[in-house]
Amino acid sequence: MAELLEAGPAPSLTAAPGPPAPDARLPGLLLAAVAVIATCGLIYELIAGTLASYLLGDSVTQFSTIIGAYLFAMGIGSWLSKFLDGPLLRWFIRLEILVGIVGGCMAPLLFLSFEYVASFRLLLYTLVGLTGILVGLEIPLLMRILEHRYPFKDLVARVFTFDYIGALLASLIFPLVLVPQLGLIRTSLVFGALNLAVAAVVLVRFPETRPYRRRFGAGIAAALLGLGVLFVFANKLLAYTETLAFQGQVIYSKSTPYQRIVLTRNPRELRLFLNGNLQFSSADEYRYHEALVHPLLQALPQARRVLVLGGGDGLAVRELLKYKQLQSIRLVDLDPGMTELFQHNELLLALNKGSLNNPKVQVLNADAYQWVRQDTTRYDAIIVDFPDPGNYSIGKLYSAAFYTALAKRLVPGGRMVVQSTSPYLARQSFWCVAHTLAAVGLHTIPYHLYVPSFGEWGYVLAGPDTHWRGDAGPLPAGLRYITPATIHDMLRFPPDMSEIPTEVNQLNNQALVRYFEEDWGPYVH
Amino acid sequence: MPTRRSFLAQSGAALTSALLLPALPGCAPTNPLAHIKGQLLGPDAATGHLLRDPSRIPTPTHTLDTDVLIIGGGVAGLAARRWLHRHGQSNTLLVELAGEAGGNSSAGHNAASAYPWGAHYLPVPDVRNVELLAFLQEAGTLTGYAPGGLPIYNDYHLCHDPEERLNIQGHWQEGLVPSLGLSAADQAQFARFFKLIETLKTARGRDGRDAFCIPLAHASTDEAYRQLDQLTFAAYLDREQFTTPALRWYLNYACRDDYGATAAQVSAWAGLHYFASRKGRAHNAGSGDVLTWPEGNNFLVKSLIGQADAPIQPHTLAYALRETATGIEALTYNVATRQSTRVRARQVLLATPQHVAHRLLTAVPGHQLPPPDSLHHAPWLVANLTVAGLPQGPGRPLSWDNVRYDSPSLGYINATQQSLKQDDSGPKVISLYWPLTDEAPALARRRAYQTPYAEWLPRVVAELETYHPGVTPYLQQADLWVWGHGMVAPTPGLLWGAARQAAMRPVRNRIFFAHTDFSGISIFEEGFYQGIRAAKEMLAVI
Repeated sequence: MAELLEAGPAPSLTAAPGPPAPDARLPGLLLAAVAVIATCGLIYELIAGTLASYLLGDSVTQFSTIIGAYLFAMGIGSWLSKFLDGPLLRWFIRLEILVGIVGGCMAPLLFLSFEYVASFRLLLYTLVGLTGILVGLEIPLLMRILEHRYPFKDLVARVFTFDYIGALLASLIFPLVLVPQLGLIRTSLVFGALNLAVAAVVLVRFPETRPYRRRFGAGIAAALLGLGVLFVFANKLLAYTETLAFQGQVIYSKSTPYQRIVLTRNPRELRLFLNGNLQFSSADEYRYHEALVHPLLQALPQARRVLVLGGGDGLAVRELLKYKQLQSIRLVDLDPGMTELFQHNELLLALNKGSLNNPKVQVLNADAYQWVRQDTTRYDAIIVDFPDPGNYSIGKLYSAAFYTALAKRLVPGGRMVVQSTSPYLARQSFWCVAHTLAAVGLHTIPYHLYVPSFGEWGYVLAGPDTHWRGDAGPLPAGLRYITPATIHDMLRFPPDMSEIPTEVNQLNNQALVRYFEEDWGPYVH
Repeated sequence: MPTRRSFLAQSGAALTSALLLPALPGCAPTNPLAHIKGQLLGPDAATGHLLRDPSRIPTPTHTLDTDVLIIGGGVAGLAARRWLHRHGQSNTLLVELAGEAGGNSSAGHNAASAYPWGAHYLPVPDVRNVELLAFLQEAGTLTGYAPGGLPIYNDYHLCHDPEERLNIQGHWQEGLVPSLGLSAADQAQFARFFKLIETLKTARGRDGRDAFCIPLAHASTDEAYRQLDQLTFAAYLDREQFTTPALRWYLNYACRDDYGATAAQVSAWAGLHYFASRKGRAHNAGSGDVLTWPEGNNFLVKSLIGQADAPIQPHTLAYALRETATGIEALTYNVATRQSTRVRARQVLLATPQHVAHRLLTAVPGHQLPPPDSLHHAPWLVANLTVAGLPQGPGRPLSWDNVRYDSPSLGYINATQQSLKQDDSGPKVISLYWPLTDEAPALARRRAYQTPYAEWLPRVVAELETYHPGVTPYLQQADLWVWGHGMVAPTPGLLWGAARQAAMRPVRNRIFFAHTDFSGISIFEEGFYQGIRAAKEMLAVI
């Protein structure tokens, strides 16, 4: 800061006319403060805009509205400044401490609260508004402090020069240095600390602050300490938030009562995450969904009625609709937030070919277990595409009791297929699913394939008889992965994922959830 | 995540109010429990106590005839009724003091779930207990037999995993056997104890019968085992050098859980029986597994009721018995209609606790019931708490049975454990069990009856707070039930002394007895056994 100091006339700071100030360099100090606070102010605005487009998607809208709101709030601050009377320097120090705390904590607070608060936008704009008002108070207040130090034309010229220098500085270092080197959270904290430093320097250098120096000093020290602690733990904080987990730009995110849906996009692909777990990548989901649907359906040329459990993205249904003989497809997915998204969002409609809006398709939002137990329809084919068995609730949907209930929904000769996690990464889990299906008296055919974004992935076909064949019927035209030959290949399990003994997954042992924790433990910890 | 979100919101609100409210002038902190609804319930003690002074009851205005009158609609009475019905004696009348039959297996329900007011599970039974298995099969709990002959239980009735967790210093571990922070010496004692139990599970006396089994009437008469009934469990554990505090906590917990009494109060035979009698087998479950329902054993009670077609009269107190030339005349009083009836029966089954049987037999000589206060019945508090969520500490997730090490209560069970819903973010009901074992039973009972809801509630909430700090704002409803005579405790000498056998002997083949008080152990299987034993005695006379 020292190089920015400049000498100037030295009358009193608070009221003209008065005794000469003890230090002629003090007004220069305040002008330097202008540059610093201007930088800080713009940085906060950039942080809010970046965070908003990062978390909420649609960066043009987010940046535009954040900047607008921020500038408007600064206007309110400027207007409010006229109500501040009394010792202005004391107000200024107070203000810097507040800006330091609010601005410094803005990024960590927004990151942490994103997942938890009901209305993230409300919190975002409240913080932006608050910061804007505080920052808007700063310059008018400083100008009033300096008003008798310079002729008016000089004052305006100097203050705004430093203000805009600060703005230039901020706009350059933010994208070039700060975000790549420090990240948003630490940047926010560092600039909060700078505001506090301005408060500290002013507090120390101006003698009239003596009566309250100790008290304000303690406040500044405490605030700095708080920001420092957050700075040290910034990476932990960020790891705690989900954002670090997503590569690419978040274009949609929504917390439904059941799960958190996040869509990200990069130039190559669209990715869907449920509760942070990748569900598909548009680049290779065809492999997963062709393998899920076609080995089952090609063997059931007589099939008319199909039940899909889970699969609210409509991608399995898209594959099913390639079989013209199907008369009705019923999809049961817990989350209306999911099925509505895939019925209305244009990007996603392009992906699932509007499958969920097809007149043959009935979409039901219900809890699958209870729904299956009370259902009375019988189906030629059932496709089970639930999330992986990562907790005890979902584990119930892979239990022997559930498969017993499900098998009752098959017509004689009907068959089902179950997505069964990875036979390579979660070998025990995969074979546990296969053994559980076998334990309820079904004949099982395990198979697997490679999906680049998932790794090796596995399924189990299950039915009451042994009649299934991989080259039974014609496959729809235009498939990109499944052919009779690939079906044949998928049935072979090399030694590193071949069958191993496991327990049967029952409601009273939840063996699968325990296997799944063991299997995935080494990858997540 | 709605629960986490509402957790943050609520704890934020709680924190804010805690910080701000005291500072606001003229705004004293409001009662932090004011948002909790609920009431104090319990067996109809006031009507029951009419027995002490029957002169206040109106004289009978009409007369009713039946072959068999069953007094008491707990598990023993209902099992007897069912057995009689299936073996040719369906002319029975059962009178029950409460509004519904069920006794210790009563239940309630609200918008969130059904929940138990007492007994809430049945361990997978011994396959030799064929009468119990037949009943369970009819109830739909046993669905068939595997080719090897082992029973298959209904998956929806077997307790779902995760089953048990224990909170030690804020961390939840799996299972109730403490394992966190145990020294090698502690672990060695646990291992030695469980090895002993494995030996006792298969041990047989010289008469070839199991050393320990359920029902205990089938256990060996061998003195080598029966002498264990002469000393307390605590004395036995001292003698056998089972001294580590963690093991003693665990064993004391088990005694309080099954008997409502401490290891220093029950006999060594009973203490060992708790563990060594669990030898159930099943095709799809192990001996450690249990059958449970949201409403607890009320499910079994409803099945018992449904498996016989004979009248049950609720709200009815039997208050006097008298022998006549042809049988027994019982006077009953209907609390709802405020009318009394003279019931003439050829046989009467007293399926009541012994202290009630005593009152009823004032005018009937020849019974061999022990003096009224000779049995140890601890009072219990059961709290059914509706919670919007439970702030989860580190470790294992919410399980069926949730216990805290060194807790004065026995912990709580999650009544919604058997739910199949994926979305479990809605309110839950948890049932907290608290045997009041700090004082002698009579004293504790008097104090419990005198304690109003407003005094119980803070105690229950404080207890739950030790399990889940910050849970108070989540509590929506707290209904409490005080059992004055919770259950009989097998104090030394009770199980294998002569008095117990003598007490259940019928009086001139007209008055019969069935209740877990006559087993000395209050579990469903014993009540069921007692009912059938008495029914068989009654049928043998006809």
